[in-house]
Amino acid sequence: MSQQSDNNIKSQSDTTHFGFQQVKVGEKAGRVANVFHSVASRYDLMNDLMSGGVHRLWKRFTIESAAARPGQTILDIAGGTGDLTMKFSSIVGKEGQVVLADINDSMLKVGRDKLIDKGYVDNINYLQTDAQFLPFPDNTFDCITIAFGLRNVTDKDTALASMLRILKPGGRLLVLEFSKPSNPGLGKIYDTYSFSILPRMGKLVANDPDSYRYLAESIRMHPDQETLKQMMEGVGFVNTSYTNLTGGIVALHKGFKA
Amino acid sequence: MIDPSIQSAACVAIEAAINTALRYDPGTRQGLAGLSGQVLAVEVSPPGAQVYLVPGETKVSVLGQYEGDVSTRVKGSPQALLALMRSRQLNLAESGVEVFGNTGLLIQLAFILGALDIDWEEALNDIVGEVIGHTTADTIRRTLGWARERKQSFTRLLGEYVTEELRSTPAQPELHDFYSQVDELQLAADRLGAKLEQIRKKRDQDRAAADAAALDNFDSLDPNSETKH
Repeated sequence: MSQQSDNNIKSQSDTTHFGFQQVKVGEKAGRVANVFHSVASRYDLMNDLMSGGVHRLWKRFTIESAAARPGQTILDIAGGTGDLTMKFSSIVGKEGQVVLADINDSMLKVGRDKLIDKGYVDNINYLQTDAQFLPFPDNTFDCITIAFGLRNVTDKDTALASMLRILKPGGRLLVLEFSKPSNPGLGKIYDTYSFSILPRMGKLVANDPDSYRYLAESIRMHPDQETLKQMMEGVGFVNTSYTNLTGGIVALHKGFKA
Repeated sequence: MIDPSIQSAACVAIEAAINTALRYDPGTRQGLAGLSGQVLAVEVSPPGAQVYLVPGETKVSVLGQYEGDVSTRVKGSPQALLALMRSRQLNLAESGVEVFGNTGLLIQLAFILGALDIDWEEALNDIVGEVIGHTTADTIRRTLGWARERKQSFTRLLGEYVTEELRSTPAQPELHDFYSQVDELQLAADRLGAKLEQIRKKRDQDRAAADAAALDNFDSLDPNSETKH
């Protein structure tokens, strides 16, 4: 087991981070849930404003990297408002299946309503579940994605191991997550944006600056590209790699089950 | 290497443009269905970017990554590929573009691309949402409008130089005069032909009448005729 995993298990008995705060391990999920209950109704709008619409490009790159085919079974963890699920639903067709999973029922409801309103009803199932304890048999999915969700998970190693278990051999995991900008200059601009502009935008649009401050803080606490790659390898993923998007503000990690 | 976000943005814009054009062209869309299952890879170098065009039943997907088999692969510089796309006839000889695999797919897709009239706003809305999309599209429209005016102006100036200064080609009014004269000549020739035909028919009728009259006269002179005068 990796050093990272040891550290995580050790920290479970004590505290973990919630943004820049240290909270008891058992409290983190509840606090994260409150953040997403608060932002759910305006999540899509805020994503557009916060990223200038670029989050759509990051998600598109993720869809292409999934190399999904008709008839496949795909799990979209922390799928939130269903952006990835919608695309996967079209690709896998009636013979395939997409499961939109999220720990937060508010996000799941917003996603489910959006997808049904747009006519995506044939091949999607909805599931409220914790990414650490995925309730599926071994070797179920051809592909699993988790977009902007892993950083909110209390124990990332447990979640990654759970994902590996339910992937079919040869199946792939894609982790789309904020990461560390590769250019120091860009990093400074990004910091200013995250801690000054983002919470103000959150106050203006969603009247909720604290939630958006948490989003910025949680991004900084998330493992960088190399660390996350090692974590994936640590739980058993093979052929792992990552691609920096928009100068490393976001990275897409890919790993396969042997 | 191009940032994948930028490449994705380009793919979204191209895809939206193609599919918007297809939406208003049912004939081409119907033809597209026959290409379903084939994949065209376009390799642009520099900068070494790859784009994949995947025709479906009713639309074309433009992807930055594709892991399946490719039917046709096209390689060339941006200038060479653009020139090929803009040319009315798809002539690969000395185009600077290399093609591998099924060229039929390339020809049919080039035909579809050739009919494009890009709705930038719709394309950008898909990428960045309506608020930013409208502003950006407006800027692009104005920029393209300016570029189009410059292009027209340049084309006019170039035309004047070639015709007026070099006298290499006739001016457009001269050509129009020449074409009018040819048309008039053709009409006069047609009229003359019709007149000659009319004269020929009249001559034939006159001859026939004269022959008939001569025959009657001959009959009246025959001594064995039963007619008594």
